[in-house]
Parts: sequence; C-alpha cells; structure tokens
Amino acid sequence: MRQVRADEYAEFAAARAGHLYRSACLLTAGDTHLAEDLVQETLGRLYVRWSRVSRADNPAAYAQTTLTRTFLAHKRLRRSTERSTDVLPETAAAASDASLRLTLLQALGRLPVKDRAVVVLRYWEDRSVQETAAALNFSSAAVRTRCVRALARLRQLLGEDIGEYVRP
Amino acid sequence: MPHDQYNGPDLPSDPFETRLSSALHDTGGLFDTDRAALVAAGAARGRRLKLRRRAVVLGGAATVVAAVLGGALVLPGGGSGAGAGQSGSGQAGAVGARPKASPTPSPAPAGVTKQQMISTLEKLLPKGRLSEQQGRGTDEEPSYAPMASLVFDDGKGPAAVTVALGRVQPGSEEARQTVLCPDKVYIPHDDCRTTRLADGSVVMVFQGYEYPDRRVDTKHWLAELVTPTGQHVSVMEWNAAQEKDAPISRPEPPLDPAGLTRLVSAQEWRALVDDIPIDPNQQTGGPTRAPEQPGAPVRSTLQTLLPKGLNVVDRSSNEAGFGYLVVDDGKGASLVQVNVQTGMSKDAGALFGSGSETLPDGTRVAVHQGPGEKGGEGVVMWTVDTLRTDGRRVVISAFNSGTQHDAATRETPALTIAQMRAIALSPQWWK
Repeated sequence: MRQVRADEYAEFAAARAGHLYRSACLLTAGDTHLAEDLVQETLGRLYVRWSRVSRADNPAAYAQTTLTRTFLAHKRLRRSTERSTDVLPETAAAASDASLRLTLLQALGRLPVKDRAVVVLRYWEDRSVQETAAALNFSSAAVRTRCVRALARLRQLLGEDIGEYVRP
Repeated sequence: MPHDQYNGPDLPSDPFETRLSSALHDTGGLFDTDRAALVAAGAARGRRLKLRRRAVVLGGAATVVAAVLGGALVLPGGGSGAGAGQSGSGQAGAVGARPKASPTPSPAPAGVTKQQMISTLEKLLPKGRLSEQQGRGTDEEPSYAPMASLVFDDGKGPAAVTVALGRVQPGSEEARQTVLCPDKVYIPHDDCRTTRLADGSVVMVFQGYEYPDRRVDTKHWLAELVTPTGQHVSVMEWNAAQEKDAPISRPEPPLDPAGLTRLVSAQEWRALVDDIPIDPNQQTGGPTRAPEQPGAPVRSTLQTLLPKGLNVVDRSSNEAGFGYLVVDDGKGASLVQVNVQTGMSKDAGALFGSGSETLPDGTRVAVHQGPGEKGGEGVVMWTVDTLRTDGRRVVISAFNSGTQHDAATRETPALTIAQMRAIALSPQWWK
C-alpha cells in the first residue's frame, strides 16, 4: 500500500475502531472476543479494499456494512457457537445500568442473527429501512418483517418500559 | 450514500423503538477495548488477506469475502420499483463494487434509458413469454447503474432475470474480483467457472442459491463479464418469479451456463455501458487508482530464475506483485507462484516466528511445508518466505498439482526447497 494511502487507512481505522467494536459487541450480544475478531476481520477487509473504501461517499458506513456482513458470514459458518441465553428471565427486572446492559444483550442474543443485525443497524446505527436493506442484501420488505418480529420479541423480553432502565 | 439519504419516514415513531435506541446506545457505549491493538491486528490481517488473495488468482479458484459477491449483486429490492432503486443504490454506495456515474452527468456519453435496458434484455433472451418488465436508466435517482428485470418463461415456468451494467477500472483489483469465483466457504454454490473469451473479456458463471443457508432452495445463477476496457455486465436469474419470497417455479433457472455466457457477453450491453455517463470522481483518481506494485514483472522474472529442464505449461499475466507458472519436469504439472511486496517489515514478527532463519544481511527466511489450502486431494504446498530488512518480501510457493484445488498430480512439487530459496533470494526481483 502506498504510504499516503497507508496513512489514510491507519487514520481511518484508528478513528472507527472503537465504534466498530461497540457495534460488534451488540451484534454478538456481548461476546467481546468474537467482537474483537470481527472488527479485526473487518479492518482487514477494509485494508484490502482501501482504495475503494476511501472513495466511498461514507467510508464509515461502508465499514459498518462490512462489519455486519462479516458477522453474518461468521454466523453462517459457525452456527454451533451461538451463545446460550437460557438464563434470561422472561421479564426484565428493574435494574442498574450494568444489569440493563446484561439484560439487553441477553435479549439481543435471543434474536435470530439476521434480526439482530437489523435491530443493530436500525436502532444503533440509526439507518433507514432502505439503508439496512442495502447493507444486508435484503429486500426492504424483508427488513420490515424482521424488524417487526424483532421488536415484538424484544418487547416481550425487555418489557414495554425498557426506558425505565435507561439513564436520563 | 445511503447515510445521506432522507430517512424521515423510517424514524422510529413508536416510543418503544425510541427507548430501544437509547438503551442500545447506552449499552453499546459501555464497551471499550485496546483500540490500538485492534487496529494493528486489523492491518496485519489485511496484509495477509491481500497476499492470500493474490495467491489465488488462478484457474478460477479464489478466496473472496462475501462482500465481493454481495457487491456484484445489484438487485431490485424485492419487487417494488422504489425498492429496486434504493437497494441498488445502497449497494453501490455501501459496497462500492459497482461504479457510480456522475451525479452531474457529463454531456459526452448519451446516457442509457430504462426502455433501452428492457428492450435489449427482451431482444437477447431466447423465445419465451415475458412479463413484469422493470428497469432503471442512468437518468434516474438515486442510482445511475442501469438495470432491467423481468419474468421470463420459456414454457417450463416463470423465472426472474435481471441485468445490470457498470464500469470497473481495467486491470484493477475490483475488475479482477468481479469475475473471481467466491470461495465455497463463504458462499456455498454448486458450480462457478471463470473463462476468458476470445476478445480478452472474462466471464464468471456462478450457480448458487438465493439463500446461503438454503432455508428455501431458490437457485440463483449469475454471470459477470468484465471486458479489457472495463465494461461490466451482470446477469442474474432465479428458478422463481422473484429473487425472494416467491415459490420455486421450476427445477433450474432458464438459462444454462452457456446461455448465461451468451447473454452477458452480447455486444449490445457493451454499447450501452459506453453510454453510461462518466463519474468525474472515478476518472481523476490517477495516483490512487493505479494499484501500486513493487519491483519487476513477476511471471517473466520467475521464468528466468527457474532451473533448467522445466517445461512451462501455463502462466499468469506478467505484472508486478504476483505471478505464477505451471511447470512440468516430465513427472506432472506443478504450480509455482510468487508474491512480491514492499513495506512488510511490520509483519516480520507474525510471518517469521521461531524456526525461521536470519541471513548475515538481516534477511529473514521461513520455510513452510504443509497441505494445500484449496482442498485439492493430496495437494501439498511448499513455501519459502523471505523478508529483507528494508521490508521487501518475496514469497514463493510450489504445489504438487497444476492448481491448488485439483488433486495432486505428483508426489512433491517440481522445485526443491533449496531451488525455491535461491529463487526467492534472487536480486532479480528488485531490478
């Protein structure tokens, strides 16, 4: 990689790594080791395609899309490592931040991986249905369906008043 | 880019969604890690990936991440016209595999209309019933990648067929990857072949599935063509009337690999590609566009360094960075490939662990002998990896087969480790 481009890449990676990692932690429902692995893989892929990534209108969104696809590809290959989330109570108890975090992650872990990816893109990345569809290679209709299903499940798992646990 | 699009209608309106979003932000924000380590590991992985990719540009075998194929697939978003446009745009932006034309169309190329796209597709398909024609011209927001889709029934059942056009930089990594078969590990498929046409164009024909997990067995076949001047034509078909959410209507999509190849390589498409307005951003990128490669052309250099008595039976193109030869000493074909890189000092630790040797001038040498990586039955891969103190690296690998993915044709590669070592350490690579 040419030096200037290598520097650009390094700067971009340093700036985005933290956010990608946090996204990955949500995608993996709190599996921080897998999250690190996914971010490394994502940064690796971005490195290979840097000349293209750097020309994208929004390299950060490109990176996020790459992460999400890396995550789904990983899940496709390794179904058996899906986290067990049997410990989740059916309704969430009022709790501190720490247990909100745990509860929310456990609830995410109970969603099918594609539904989880939709939730993370829609509500963490604040992407539109269309953008989410494009990132995941789904149709918009499929994103909406998954979203509705995931929200229903999360409501059931977290309770309608999830907001009570969120810091003001 | 999708992120810049107006997304008002999608904003959460339900209080639960708003709360969920806040909760996610609070929760996500609590995670942190050693970012510097993450970045360093990511770059190291990138460098390895790059090397590995170069190493598999042979005989249609490939290591490609899912995004590559994903990037090649500009598809309508499930039927609706609006969805189609948005989905195509999002992919072009998000994955970038498809070059976009300019948002301020230059006057030169005429542009391509939706009707041209549809009628060209109709004309080029074999006899059959056509319905549900949709298309997009270069004049339509938000995407400038022209495409057409329709339902084609040759009498054996309705099938969705789409075509999309674009440009890639000739000779670029993007051009190469567009027609590189994906690794089955990443994208399961029944068959994938890359062939070079008489005019120098390369066609990949891929026969796989709409859903990689095969929850529904909708077959998804596609052909990607890249011409020597960078015209890119992509044709896809399914054995259902829609790509998703439609019942399987026939055992297989209507066009077989030969039919797909005929359709994708029709001259009509290339004329239309030439009418796509040119994106000034894609044209002015001079220095950043040309893939930089160090040193001498690899294939010809390798050829001059080979020991006597080896017959060259196949060869790669002759460029800097990577090349290969398939040689035969009379005992069977043996693939020999070389990667030449610069600026690799940072990876010395990862690449040259214990058991590696350091020469008096500081050059590191590592030898690996193991099974091939591409699943060819009984294939072994011998590698000599060398790294000079200035970061210049030459890696030579030899196989006991003409390709990595075919079964072994001989017991050992046609070169000895000593011969490979001498080749890798030759100063000729840097002439």
